[in-house]
Amino acid sequence: MRDIIYLDNNATTRVAPEVRDAMLPYLDELYGNPSSAHTFGREMRRSVERAREQVAELLNAADVNEIVFTSCGSESDNWAIRGVLEQQPDKRHIITTRVEHEAVRNWCERLEKSGYEVTWLDVDEEGLLNLEDLRAALRPDTALVSVMLANNETGVLFPIEEIGRTVRENSEAVFHVDGVQAVGKIPIDLRHTHVDLFALSGHKFHAPKGVGALYIRGGVNLAPFIIGGGQERGRRSGTEAVPYIVALGAACELAKNFDGHAEVRRLRDKLEDTILDTFTKARLNGTPERARRLPNTANISFELIEGESILAHLNEAGICVSTGSACNAESHVSSAVLRAMNVPYTVAQGSIRFSLGRYNTESEIDRTLDMLPAIIKRLSEMSPFEIKQT
Amino acid sequence: MSYYPARINEHFLNPRNVGECDDADAIGEAGSFTCGAVVRLSLKIDAALQRITDARFKAAGCGYLIASASVLTETIKDLAISRAATLHENAIADWFGELPADKTHCAALCHEALHAALANYHNAAREEWTGDEALICTCFCVSEKTIERVIETGSLRTIEQVTRACNAGGGCRSCHPLIEDILEDYWRTTALTSEEINRL
Repeated sequence: MRDIIYLDNNATTRVAPEVRDAMLPYLDELYGNPSSAHTFGREMRRSVERAREQVAELLNAADVNEIVFTSCGSESDNWAIRGVLEQQPDKRHIITTRVEHEAVRNWCERLEKSGYEVTWLDVDEEGLLNLEDLRAALRPDTALVSVMLANNETGVLFPIEEIGRTVRENSEAVFHVDGVQAVGKIPIDLRHTHVDLFALSGHKFHAPKGVGALYIRGGVNLAPFIIGGGQERGRRSGTEAVPYIVALGAACELAKNFDGHAEVRRLRDKLEDTILDTFTKARLNGTPERARRLPNTANISFELIEGESILAHLNEAGICVSTGSACNAESHVSSAVLRAMNVPYTVAQGSIRFSLGRYNTESEIDRTLDMLPAIIKRLSEMSPFEIKQT
Repeated sequence: MSYYPARINEHFLNPRNVGECDDADAIGEAGSFTCGAVVRLSLKIDAALQRITDARFKAAGCGYLIASASVLTETIKDLAISRAATLHENAIADWFGELPADKTHCAALCHEALHAALANYHNAAREEWTGDEALICTCFCVSEKTIERVIETGSLRTIEQVTRACNAGGGCRSCHPLIEDILEDYWRTTALTSEEINRL
């Protein structure tokens, strides 16, 4: 393994050794096609179905056939939206939020340009939704409500149980949840919610990149996304990516049995608390109520300091993080998520996202906390603004 | 592996001339609302020699901005202010070899801060201007008489030569058409005079 401190687990995660071991035979001697009639092919079919069970178990789906494999989270999100609209051409209204992942947000913007009406639900300064806004927006011609479970930048959680209930009680709309950032980090229980569609992505929880899934509640009518040989019961054609599907199944099982959530949370809390205590100009982006945030994410702004410069200094120290600042002449100044939360420009610019994972250790967090003060001090002293960061 | 290309990274990690000059003779700032970068340049200027003797910067922005400001201060130290004012807009980019298209504005901001600092210096000088003659270059406080004199003594033909000789036209460049006129007038009358001489 490389000698880095990886605190960017919301971007992607390391493939778990257990997952790699599970998929390797399928890159080697187990190369059959699940659609083949011979025993060798049928073995692959069994492996795919085993993986489907593993995914269904992690999501607590009522039926294994509610799980369909895709190539990634974005495909799952795109398909959910397109598939719903295609089945109900008369309904021209969509409800979503301003802080969705691009796979949802950019699709909805496109649909808006092509004549759909989109209600963009606002969030408050802590990144939370007002469910009254949702209730008021629901209409008889609302085809789809699309809301994420966990925000990729801030980790803020939306109450999908309550949202599902509101949607069900007040409309005929289909309820899609982008769950990409939540799976593997918090327990999911789709059986006991009103979620109709739920997207996930393997590489966010230790499967390789290139595999995702869409949960389609039994009875929900979704148009197929890829037409072809009729794989996945005609819902998503294309020869099954067996090694990746097996890996996704293994990652789901690993996530289900993971007992280190409390430790990840403790390390995140330590990192977050220490930074907020140390730097007077450090601000948390997202609700301070930790029960309403992912246990692994801390999005913190260093006011008046450019996030890219902090990131570059941390990078020099071998520490991998993300920033919500897009520092270039053409692009927007800061992330759409932080702007939707009304985070002031000078604060959003200095935002750093730390996202932890199962492989982070206490000494890595300590090393990060050791490195930060000198970096922040240097950039503060260099700034033309009078900044007292400590 | 470093975040920025090697030459940028070296100046980003070890920026030269960070800070502010004590009793600065000129201060210039530039900022961008698009990317949020701000740079402040402070200069010490030897008034007799019209030369920059010290340059320091403060910057809030990305590594490209910090590295650009660092290189700019190194470049303009000990430079005549007319030279600094006419520094090519690609000077910083050229020093780094090349800047990515979406980061050229970082270097441009540093140039802007330099021009602001020089304007700041000349504004102060202009406030003290008491001459009766027409002022052509308001950036460097150069009168029409001075420009005519340097053209005559040096047989100057171009604006650039004029700038080198007396600083005129080295700032905002809005007086370039006027200097052009002065050059044309001078050489037209001079030409006429030689024809007359020939005819005689």
